[in-house]
Amino acid sequence: MSQCLLKAEHIKISFGNVHALRDVSLEILPGEIHCLAGENGCGKSTIIKIISGVYQRDGGTIEFNGQKIDKISPIDAINLGIQVIYQDFALFPNLTVAENLALNTELASRKKTVSWKNVRKIAEEAVSKINFQVDLDQKVQELTVAQKQMVAISRALMSNAKLIIMDEPTTALTKKEVSALFKIILKLKEQGIAILFISHKLDEVFEISDRFTIFRDGQMVATGSTKELDDKKFTYYMTGREFSDKIFVPENLSDKPVFELRNLTLDGAFSDINLSLRRGEILGITGLLDSGRTELGLSMFGLKPADSGQIMKEGKEIRLTNPREAIANSIGYVPEDRLSEGLFLTQSIGDNIIISEIDKLKKKNGQFDLKKRDEEVEKWVKELEIKTNNPNNAATTLSGGNQQRIVLAKWLACNLDVLILNGPTVGVDIGSKHDIHMVLQRLANQGLGIIIISDDLPEVIQNCSRVLVIKNGKIKSEYDTQNVSEQMIIDDMM
Amino acid sequence: MKKAIVMTLCAAMAVGMIGSVSTVYASEPDITSDDAIKKAADEGWEIAVVPKDSTNPWFVRMDTGVKEVADKAGVNCYQIDTGTIDATKQAQLVEDLIAQGVDAICVVPVDMESMDSTLKKAKDAGIVVITHEGADLTNVDYDIEAFSNEGYGAFIMQNLAEAMGEEGLYTTMVASLTNGSHNEWADAAVEYQKEHYPNMTLLEENPRVESDDNGDTAYNVAKELIKTYPDLKGIMGTSSFDAPGVARAIQELGLVDKFFTSGTGMPADNAELLKSGVIKSLTLWDPAKSGEAMVDLACKVLAGEEIGAPVNLNVDGYTEMTFREGSETVLEGQGWITIDADNVDDFGF
Amino acid sequence: MNKKIKKIFQSNEPYIFLIIILLGIVVQIRSGQFFTANNIVDLLSAMIVPGLFAIAEFMALIAGGIDVSFPALASLSAYATTKLLLDKNYEGNVLLAFVIAIAIGAVLGAVNGYFIGYLNLNAMIVTLGSASIFQGIMQGTLRANQLSVIPSGMKSFGTAAFLTATNKTNGLTSILPYTFIILVLVCAVMHFVLHYTIFGRGIYAIGGNPLSAHTAGFNVKRTKFIMYIMIGMIASASGICRVCMMQQMHPTNMLGMEMNIIAGVVLGGVALTGGAGTLTGCILGTFLIILVQNSMILLGIPTTWSDVFVGLVIVIGVSLTAWQSNRTSKSKKKSVKEGA
Repeated sequence: MSQCLLKAEHIKISFGNVHALRDVSLEILPGEIHCLAGENGCGKSTIIKIISGVYQRDGGTIEFNGQKIDKISPIDAINLGIQVIYQDFALFPNLTVAENLALNTELASRKKTVSWKNVRKIAEEAVSKINFQVDLDQKVQELTVAQKQMVAISRALMSNAKLIIMDEPTTALTKKEVSALFKIILKLKEQGIAILFISHKLDEVFEISDRFTIFRDGQMVATGSTKELDDKKFTYYMTGREFSDKIFVPENLSDKPVFELRNLTLDGAFSDINLSLRRGEILGITGLLDSGRTELGLSMFGLKPADSGQIMKEGKEIRLTNPREAIANSIGYVPEDRLSEGLFLTQSIGDNIIISEIDKLKKKNGQFDLKKRDEEVEKWVKELEIKTNNPNNAATTLSGGNQQRIVLAKWLACNLDVLILNGPTVGVDIGSKHDIHMVLQRLANQGLGIIIISDDLPEVIQNCSRVLVIKNGKIKSEYDTQNVSEQMIIDDMM
Repeated sequence: MKKAIVMTLCAAMAVGMIGSVSTVYASEPDITSDDAIKKAADEGWEIAVVPKDSTNPWFVRMDTGVKEVADKAGVNCYQIDTGTIDATKQAQLVEDLIAQGVDAICVVPVDMESMDSTLKKAKDAGIVVITHEGADLTNVDYDIEAFSNEGYGAFIMQNLAEAMGEEGLYTTMVASLTNGSHNEWADAAVEYQKEHYPNMTLLEENPRVESDDNGDTAYNVAKELIKTYPDLKGIMGTSSFDAPGVARAIQELGLVDKFFTSGTGMPADNAELLKSGVIKSLTLWDPAKSGEAMVDLACKVLAGEEIGAPVNLNVDGYTEMTFREGSETVLEGQGWITIDADNVDDFGF
Repeated sequence: MNKKIKKIFQSNEPYIFLIIILLGIVVQIRSGQFFTANNIVDLLSAMIVPGLFAIAEFMALIAGGIDVSFPALASLSAYATTKLLLDKNYEGNVLLAFVIAIAIGAVLGAVNGYFIGYLNLNAMIVTLGSASIFQGIMQGTLRANQLSVIPSGMKSFGTAAFLTATNKTNGLTSILPYTFIILVLVCAVMHFVLHYTIFGRGIYAIGGNPLSAHTAGFNVKRTKFIMYIMIGMIASASGICRVCMMQQMHPTNMLGMEMNIIAGVVLGGVALTGGAGTLTGCILGTFLIILVQNSMILLGIPTTWSDVFVGLVIVIGVSLTAWQSNRTSKSKKKSVKEGA
C-alpha cells in the first residue's frame, strides 16, 4: 500500500459528557477522491474540524504527508496544505469576487496596504486554475450557490492545497451544477490533489469517489474501495438498519376520485393539466426544476391560483384562490423548503403541530383549551414518532427528518382528505427518510389521498403507485410504478 | 381692563428699567425671618426642586438660591434634575420623588400636559406642589411667576422695539411650540407691539419659530429666516439660547446695526455680545430668587398659612405677589430686569 | 462603459444625489435662495459636525456594529479639553485642543472597543451603557456647566473664514470656517484607510462575515478595538469643531444627535446589518438630512409641521433605497435564470 497522505488513528473527542468521536480512524491516499458518509450527528463534521485545527482532539494520532501532527491551529493546517470548503463557503458576501479570492494571500503577505492591481492579478490567476468564468467585480452575494462554491474552490487552490475537504458540497446545487462540480473535482484529482468529499447521498458516493469511509454514532463502521459497495450495504452501514425496497401497492383504493384537475392552466408555468387522485393512492409528480411542478403544487393549494381549468373535490367543483379555501376543503400542503415556509422554527414543537387546527381547540366561551391542546400534541408526537423528550422545546432543536414530521403532523391534525407534499425528504438523512415514507404509506392505507412532488426518482418510484412526468408545463407521460425504470422517467423529463 | 394692566406694567417697567437692579438689591428681605421657614427647618420637611436640566447656567443659578435657603435657614431643600431637557425623564423623576415620599415638590416643567398628569399623582399622595413657569398647570397648589407673562413679553418687546427703532418686520422664537411661558411671552409681545408700535409688523408667513433650547439651532434658523425674508429686521427671543444664537448669525452675516434681537439671556454669557453692540439689551429675572421663592411658598403651604394677596415670600421681587386675573393658583411678582452693555458686569452670574 | 454606468445606477448614491438636487430645485422655486453662494456655504458649514459624526458611525455600521455613544463621548472629551485649557489660561493655538480631545476620545473609544471587541458584547448595548457613563462623568464628576467663554485660540479658529460667500442681491455674507478642512481631511483619510489598507478591508470583511474574517486570518478583536478608538478620536475632533464654531461649550446640546446621524448614514445606503455601503453614500445621506433640516423655512413649511416633514423625508428616502436594492437583486436573479 502506498504512503498515506492523511492518517488519523484512534481519534477521540468529547464535549462535556457527550462522546462525539470514540476511536475513529481515517486514511486518505494522495490524489484520491475519498468519500466520508454518515447520517447527521455521526461525527463527520467533528473529524473535519479536528483535521483542520478548529477542535483539539482528546486522544489518537494524526499524520499528514508523513509528518506527525500534535496541536495545530487553523492557520497551521492551511500552511500544511489542508483546505476546508464549508457548507456556507466562508466567503464575504459584501466584497467582490476578486477581493474574496485575494484577501487571504494579501493577509498572508503581511502587507499593510492593499494594491488593487495586485488583487486583480491574484484573482485572475485563481480562477484560471479551474477555468472558472466569472465577473471579478461582481459582489459575491449576487452569485448563484454554484458560483459561490467555485469561488471558494478557487480560493482554496491559492495556497498549494494537498487536501481539500468539501463539506456536503452538493446540498444546494441543481443536477447540472453537481455534474459541473464533479468535473472540477476530477480535474483537481488529475493535479494530484486529494479530495475528502462529505456526503450522505448514495448516488454521489458511487459516482465520484475512489474509496469511502462511513461513520455512525461517532464510530467508524466501514471503509474500503467504492467498487465493493452497493446500495444495500451503504444504507445498512449508514443506519444500522435494513430496509425493504418493495414498491408501494395501495391496499385501500376508493372507487371514486377524491381530487381531480381538468385542463388546469397557469400562464407561464403549466397548461392543460388533467389528473385524478383516489383515496388510498399515492400519486407522484416529477419533472425538472423549471418544469412547472412546483407551481402546480402551489396552485393545488391556492397559493398561486390557476388562470383557467377546473378543480374537483369529491366530484364537486371547488375554487382555490387562497390557502384558507384549500384548508376548508381538507387539502393540505407541505412546502419544499420546510424551514422557511412550513415551520415557526423558534416556536415550540407543540405549537407548530396545532397551529392549523387552532380554531378547533376552543372552549365554548372562546377560551383556548389548553388540556385539549396537550392531548393533541401528545397524540401526534406519538403517532409520527417525533423524537423529542419535551414538545415544548423549540422546533429548531430537532433534526431535519423530525422537523419534516412536525409539518406532517400539523396537517394531519386537520383531518385531511388530500395531502400534497413537495420534495418531502430534501435534506433528510436516510433513516428519517425511510421513516417518513413509511408514515406516508400508512396514511394512504388509512384512506388519505397523497400527491408527492419530487425529483428524487427512487423516492417517487418506491412510494407512489402512479407517476406523472411533467415537461415544459405539460404532462409528458404517466407510468405505473410497478413497471417503470428510472431511465425511462429521465428520458421523458429531459 | 387690559389697557389698565398694560399701563400699570409700563409704569412698573419704567421704574424697573431705571433702577431695578439697585432697588432689588438694596432692600434685603430676610428669608430666615419667615415663620414658615423656621418651622420647616424644625420639622425637617423635605422639599425637592426639579429644574428643566442642570447644565444650563440658568438652573445652576437657581440651585445657588435653593442651596442658600438650605444653608442659611437649615431647611431640608435641594435641587435634583435629569441632566437633559426631556419631558419624559422629568416626569419620571417626579414620579420617583412621589415614591420617595418627599413633603413638597417644586417643578419648572418642560412640557405642560405630561407634567400635569404626573403632578396629579403628587397631589393625590398629599404632597405640596409648587411650580414655576407653569401657569397652565391645574394640579398644583400654587404656580409662581417672577412676573406676569404678559408683562414680561411686553417688556421684551419694549427692548426689541427700542433696538429696531420702533419700525420694521419681526418674528418670534420659542424653545418649542409646546413650551408654556415662552409662547405666552411671545403672544403678549405681539399684542403689545400691535398696540404701541404701529410701524412694526409681525412676519405673517412664519410668526413663530423653534430653537429647541439649542444655540446652534437658533443660529441656523436665524440664518434661514434672514435669507428667506430679506425685509426681516428683528427676532424676539424667549429662551436664553435664542437671542445669543441669533446674535451669532447677525455677526456672521455682517448685519450688526441692521438686524436686531432681544430676549432672555444670562449676563456673563453675553457680556461680549452686549459690549460689542451685536445685541443692544437682554431681559432677565433672577432664577436664584425664583428658587428661593418656590421653597418659601412650599414651606408656607406646609405650615398651613393662609395664602392671600399680597403674598410676601421674603425674597427680592417676590414681596408683593398678587394672583393672576381669574386664577387662584398663579402668583405673580415683579422680578424683571434689563441687562445692557453698561450693567452687564454688575451681576454675580 | 455601458456596464459601468449600469452598475452605478444599481447603487443608492445616484438616487440620494437626485433627491438632493430635486429638493434643491424645489427650494429654489419656493424661495429663490437655494443656489446662492451663501446658502451653499451655510449648508456646508452646518454639515461639518454631523458629517464627522456620520463618518465615525459609518465605520461602526460597516463592521456590523453600531455606536450610539458618540455624542456623549464627544461632549465629554470636548468639555474636559475646553475646561482644562480654560483653567490653565491657555492662550495658544487650537492644535493643542485637538490633540488633548483626540487623546481623551481615544481612551473613551478604547473602553467601547474593549467591551465590543475583546469581550464580544453587543455593540448597541455597550454604547448605550457607555453613553450614560460618559454623560454621568460629565455631570457627576466634572459637574459640567455651560462654558460661555472658550480659549482664544479655539475662538479665533471657529470664526476664521476659510471661505467667504456674499450674496450679491441681498448682501448677506456667510463664512465657511476652517473646521470644514477637518471634515475634508478626515473624509480623505478614511477613504484611504477603508479602501487601501488591510485594516480597512478587514472592517468590511468583519461586517460581511465575522467568522470567515477570523478564519481568513484577520485579528477580528483587535480590528474592532482599534476601530472604536478611531471612532472616539473622530467624534472628539468633531466635538472640538462644534465648540469652536459655537463659541461656547454646552455639555448636553449634542446629545440626541445620534438618531438623525444614523438615519442619514442608513439613508445613504449603509446597511444596518453591516458590510455594505460607501463613504460617498454616507456623506450624501447625511447631507440630505442637513439639507432638509435647514430648508424648512426656505420651503415655507410651518414650524408645527417641520418634524413631520423631516420624518417623511427619512421614511421616503429609506423606502426608496430599499425598493432600489430589491429591484436590483430581482433583476439580477432574473438574468441568472435567463442565462441558465
